[in-house]
Amino acid sequence: MSEQHELLDSGRDVLSLEAASLDEQRWDDWLDLFRADCEYWVPTWITEEQLAENHESQLSQIYYSSRAGLEDRIARIRTGKSPASVPLRRTTHMVSNIVLLSATPGASMTLRSSWTCHVFDPNSKKVYVLFGHSTHGLRFADGNWRIASKKIVIQNDYLPTMVDIYCI
Amino acid sequence: MDMSNIKNYIDDRPADGVFRVHKDVYSDPQLFELEMKYIFERTWSFIGHESQIPKPHDWVATHIGRVPVLVSRDANGKLGAFLNACRHKGARLTRTESGNRKFHVCPYHGWAYGSDGRSADVKDKKDGCYTPAFDKDSHDLVPLARVASYKGLLFGSLSPDVPELTDFLGELRFFIDLAMEQGEHGMEFVPGRIEYAYDANWKLQLDNGTDAYHLTSTHTSFLDVMAKRAMGEGNQEARQFDWQKRFSQQGGDFQFANGHTVIWLNQAEVIKRPIYPGIEAIRKRVGAERADWMLKMRNMSVFPNMQIADSTSLLLRTFRPLSVDRTEMRYWCMAPVGEPPAQRAWRLRQFEDFFNVSGLATPDDTVTYETCQAGFAANQLDWLQGHCRGLAAIEQGPNDIAKSLGFNPVASLKGGFAVQSESAFQPVYREWARLMQAGISGEKAYV
Repeated sequence: MSEQHELLDSGRDVLSLEAASLDEQRWDDWLDLFRADCEYWVPTWITEEQLAENHESQLSQIYYSSRAGLEDRIARIRTGKSPASVPLRRTTHMVSNIVLLSATPGASMTLRSSWTCHVFDPNSKKVYVLFGHSTHGLRFADGNWRIASKKIVIQNDYLPTMVDIYCI
Repeated sequence: MDMSNIKNYIDDRPADGVFRVHKDVYSDPQLFELEMKYIFERTWSFIGHESQIPKPHDWVATHIGRVPVLVSRDANGKLGAFLNACRHKGARLTRTESGNRKFHVCPYHGWAYGSDGRSADVKDKKDGCYTPAFDKDSHDLVPLARVASYKGLLFGSLSPDVPELTDFLGELRFFIDLAMEQGEHGMEFVPGRIEYAYDANWKLQLDNGTDAYHLTSTHTSFLDVMAKRAMGEGNQEARQFDWQKRFSQQGGDFQFANGHTVIWLNQAEVIKRPIYPGIEAIRKRVGAERADWMLKMRNMSVFPNMQIADSTSLLLRTFRPLSVDRTEMRYWCMAPVGEPPAQRAWRLRQFEDFFNVSGLATPDDTVTYETCQAGFAANQLDWLQGHCRGLAAIEQGPNDIAKSLGFNPVASLKGGFAVQSESAFQPVYREWARLMQAGISGEKAYV
């Protein structure tokens, strides 16, 4: 197997594990996939056709420059006191079309993937789907690939009542 | 219920200490239809901010209630607003929300309009065998009856029978100024559009925007995260406030004419305000007292469906009624023009943290509106008890704070955080009742 294919397999594993840990609400496993210094960014659309390009001067749906932002979100879910999070919505992520954009074998790679997330709210009985694509920056350290950056583009940004990290 | 007497829906008896709103106000589809006619089509509505259309021929598409509206600057930069509907077959002229165009050409039969709303072309008119009667009709876009701006905020009215905008906003202007004068060169909407919809009545957002009472119950998960951050843990990027410190602050509300209302709270940590690094210059420009009030928490409703909240960083939102139980929400992060980049990023992180539909607080509000709407299915429920807190603490007219600051509210309330007053809802529902009754009785909305 070529080096490229091995890298792509490793990357695909990370993305699949990420989706599975969200869908199974294994929050610690999900957080473990991210480096402490990871960047997590969900840009807004500026217009119908133009995506935001700068999180320092344009509004984001979510922007964190470290994992602490993600940890706060998990802490909020775990309080059990958030009306938007009780009962927790059930999700199924489908992640596909994974492309290796660039790589330094054994050190880093960038992957582009497409995703859909089906969300069911057991309270209101409503179902909705969010979909888009993501760019993952992965880095290899201590024998593991970890997420160093993740940018999520939501294509259908006429949003439902709530959007959390497990809905995208 | 007898819809001709709006007292059946708003039980307002100050002498008896009673102020009650009937749950049908939020859930009756027939009342909703009357609201569209007698409120949204008979008073001023927010239609945009000047920063959305700074140049000649810039335009933005919006709505007043359910009515599509096109706001446009002409070649000379003059502001105009029109029904966003072609005179030919009624097609909405715009396919996006904003842009710059000298001419708006209908996608259907190609009728064209200038950026001033005037008819520029009726396609192939010469060979169209029209009768002379056709030429007697104006082919221009239908202009809104009134358009005006105040401190960069653009308003329109579908009815000509409204007061001047400055009179409509009235004494609330003191608080509007506190938001819109934070920047020496004015304010702007930060790029980035966020839009969502919830399955509940539009007035649940109208209420919640000036509801101090829900914070310690709806947002306990947010407060737990904030308590963690106050210990130096978690995400420090947003420089969030130590919310526990808010509970020992003095605050209150002011009621204004024409349905407007404000709640406020002293701010324990003014240094966490993105405008704070520039506060000396602001003090020099607007005076120390007004600058200090810019640092306080202030949430206001501009009747009927616009709110400016300055509880974390500065937000402007609209909530557009789609049906009795569905509402479309738009909000913008508002910032001083020319704000230094570090403060802009700080503002954005604070804003996203609290206000975003993908943030840590707003989803808990919006989901709760839907929970209310689900409860309204209980037809046996009549008078709600959610508009009563604080009524014993109301002072008629201006209190000492308003007098010292020089504005003149209809009523004032001051107290500790624990009051968590609901008296800010009074002017809203009094105006709602007044406009609805006027409409139902066949009277003008304003005299």
